[in-house]
Amino acid sequence: MLILVSGLLLFLTALALIVLQVTQPNARYAWLVAVGGAMLALLSVFFWLVQMPFEFMLPAWKPASVFLNPILFQADQTSFPFALSITALTLTILLTAITRSALTNSFTWAGTLALGGIGLFSVTANNPLTLLLMWGALDLTELLTQLQAVNGAANNEKVVISFSTRALGSGLLLWANILSIAQGNTFDFQSIAPSSGLYLVAAAGLRLGVLPLHLPYAAESTVRRGMGTALRLISAVSSLVLLAHVPVESLTSTLTPFLLTLAVIAALYGGWMWLRAPDELTGRPYWIVSLAALSITSALSGSPLGAIAWSNALILVGATLFLASVQQVWLNRALLVGVWSLSTLPFSLTASAWAGSLGFFLPFVIAAQALLMAGVTRHALRSSGRTALDSQPGWANKVYPAGIILLITFQVLLGFWGWDGARQVGAWLPALLASLLTFGLIWATPRLRILNPVRAHWVSNSADSGLATFYSGLWIVYRAVGNVSQAIITTLEGEGGMMWTLLFLALFILLLTQGIP
Amino acid sequence: MSAPIIWIAIPFAVGFFLLFFLHKRLSPLIGGAVAAILSLTALIFPIDTALLLGAISIKISASIQFFGRSFALNTADGPLIAIVYGLAALWFFGTETSGTANRFVALGLMIVSLLTASIAVEPFLFAALLLDMAAILAIPLLVPIYQKPGRGIIRFLTYQTLAMPFILFSGWMLAGVESSPGAISATVQAGTILGLGFAFLVGIFPFYNWIPMLMEEAAPYASGFLLWALPTFTVIFALGFLDRYVWLRTSPQLSNAIQYAGIFMVASGGLFASQQKHIGRIMGYAAITETGLLVLAMGGRSAEIVNTVFLLLIPRGLELAVWALALSILKRRAYSLRFGEVKGLARKYPIAVSALILAHLSMTGFPLLAGFPPRLALWQELAGQPIYMSFWVFFGLLGLLVALARTLAVFVMAEENTGWAWNETWAQSVMLGLGALGLFVLGIFPQILQPLIVNLPALFNHLGL
Repeated sequence: MLILVSGLLLFLTALALIVLQVTQPNARYAWLVAVGGAMLALLSVFFWLVQMPFEFMLPAWKPASVFLNPILFQADQTSFPFALSITALTLTILLTAITRSALTNSFTWAGTLALGGIGLFSVTANNPLTLLLMWGALDLTELLTQLQAVNGAANNEKVVISFSTRALGSGLLLWANILSIAQGNTFDFQSIAPSSGLYLVAAAGLRLGVLPLHLPYAAESTVRRGMGTALRLISAVSSLVLLAHVPVESLTSTLTPFLLTLAVIAALYGGWMWLRAPDELTGRPYWIVSLAALSITSALSGSPLGAIAWSNALILVGATLFLASVQQVWLNRALLVGVWSLSTLPFSLTASAWAGSLGFFLPFVIAAQALLMAGVTRHALRSSGRTALDSQPGWANKVYPAGIILLITFQVLLGFWGWDGARQVGAWLPALLASLLTFGLIWATPRLRILNPVRAHWVSNSADSGLATFYSGLWIVYRAVGNVSQAIITTLEGEGGMMWTLLFLALFILLLTQGIP
Repeated sequence: MSAPIIWIAIPFAVGFFLLFFLHKRLSPLIGGAVAAILSLTALIFPIDTALLLGAISIKISASIQFFGRSFALNTADGPLIAIVYGLAALWFFGTETSGTANRFVALGLMIVSLLTASIAVEPFLFAALLLDMAAILAIPLLVPIYQKPGRGIIRFLTYQTLAMPFILFSGWMLAGVESSPGAISATVQAGTILGLGFAFLVGIFPFYNWIPMLMEEAAPYASGFLLWALPTFTVIFALGFLDRYVWLRTSPQLSNAIQYAGIFMVASGGLFASQQKHIGRIMGYAAITETGLLVLAMGGRSAEIVNTVFLLLIPRGLELAVWALALSILKRRAYSLRFGEVKGLARKYPIAVSALILAHLSMTGFPLLAGFPPRLALWQELAGQPIYMSFWVFFGLLGLLVALARTLAVFVMAEENTGWAWNETWAQSVMLGLGALGLFVLGIFPQILQPLIVNLPALFNHLGL
């Protein structure tokens, strides 16, 4: 029931904001209502600890003989850190919104709160059916928001491709479960068949743009900081939560090394582009791809805990950077806590990340991690393009940093106490190597031209040319299939169509009667 | 009063009256209201059961004799009639906003009443005649009076008419098979002829090519109505066949043939939809895919055949209604409905385009929408079958997803800095909004259909045993 309370707090606050905006467009306390609702939701998530683990079930679909699984949410050690991260992110977006008041209004805040609510239900989904429904809600919300925000045919097309890819990812999750049911298992995470495990990873990978590598989110969008951050990060985390449910025994497939290779390539590519991105918002799609790839790598290496750790780093560290729109020296330095959170050093947020067996892939993963950490350092200390905190009104001087500090606190807090398996020394040697490599990269960045940030308009939204070749190959196959099917359609609908129809029918009957004894 | 008079004769008479005597603006309201009242009546008043209202006792008798034939609607038919007339009301209320010709409601009511008669008639083989009469009545619905019918319409009528002799002949043969079940050759012949009859009637591959042609030639709303009404009653008629003849429902060969036909329809419908450049034809292929799912569900050997079939049938009516209404609105602006003409319409007709996309998504089986729960039920049923069956269904639905992506990409392909406009009327927006809301409600709470479908298995006593 507490899950419902937390979710409803977010949804009802969103509703209240919409009502306020319609009835009293000039109400000055709308922001207070939004922050109050988000704060209560965050506090309510802490109350989960009193009862955890517990479940919340919606009225069952009927007929019960056909719909075997209910819509079920569960608060446990896996979902709790995700829920905490999402509600903290929602609150921080609203707290930092005061510096973006020219661009935001009650509807945007309501949208952020509703997204937080959907995200909360997504991460607590206890079976694939529930997760599919939540993914559907997120995908439709994102489609609607993006289509309203972007301009021009090309950008609109990217939004559609992104939506379709995520829908295909949802389809893969469904397929994983069809396989599972076919093998006599039920439609839930606890008893999913090992052979379905890789499909779960592929589903998450496809939705996140990792497997195969593509950027599912159009970079050119007007919803960049507040709502945009909520949309990107919550959507990503709702997909990543699936990795925590992948059965370890399913990873012995011969396909695992292949998927690992793809994930590591995506992590390296994303890390490299993130390091060289002109600013954190332009680099945001690469941040998501790279950290999602690391999360998938962890899951594939047999460490679901690692997947949880990277996912929470994605949302908490990422959000501090993407929401930091105001310049202040000590706050910029505080953002560097994110580097520690990504370091996998003992007791950090990601300390449990490399518990699995990475083997040959370890050096590449360390390189990707170092690229990300160096990128965080560069973007945290970058001052250009941000307004000074001192230029904000007096109360904003206090509220805005509080929002950023909240996320930083949670990075530290979850590292110690987020889930069973947090607060550990972890694999300290790779962590040390990654840290050293990060220092090297930071030192080399001003000295080596190749590491310098590229100009914004050079950052391409599409993946590299090799992938373009792959996709054009797919397009050729599609066209070939299209030509064949068009030939059939033309034949059947043409003048002699009825005769052809009868011929097809005769063939069909012959084929069928062959099987009759 | 008897049930056949209420649910067959009255709507037919009202339809006739509307066709010849009433002003066109009133006909959607009257036709919709009549259908809604008939639906509510079926829901409230049980057939053949005395109902006490204070001191008054009301009883709707079950059957009536007409030209030596019996028409009977029993207690178990009540929810089915409620569903059919409820969905018909939805179609009729939407007529005005779709801009469809005024005789749509009149002919629609007459068609629905004939189709209802097809489930009531005894001997039940006469249903084939009634279905064919309904198909003939659909012609003036599809072709304006002084216009030459297109090839799709002629083919539609040809196939529907060809179905009738096959079904009547197979019925005669099946009676013989029942009396001598050991006669294998007669059994195979009867099964083949029956299969042919239903292949023509339902539009099994390759007999479905009239559907996309029709969607290209005729008004989308009228075509959509036919794509809803005819397969719905044909499927009920087919279930009746399966229920009545032991040999049919226990034959593994026939079950396989039905399932293969269904899979072929789903896979080919999805594949062909993904290659279209005409949004009307895409709807046609989506309807074919959906019919394929129905056929596939009918061929299942589980105890849940009836539940699964009706779970698929009800959302189908809503999906097609929303889709057809949205297409009708868009057709006024882009007459050909080809990709080249509908480019960028999302910013000019946001509500119609959103409704169309939601209906399409629902047919794809997108979570949260009406089409998702029935597909989930079907996956569950298919789990016991070879996995390639599920694969081909997945493939077909993937084809619909590709078609959706292409359609949506064309709709949103607006020029730089094109503003948003709202060109739908209030009535159109409300109708489309309610339809879209219905898609979500059925997708999130499919259990609201439970009171309607809980007693439907009683219609087919032997299926699923």
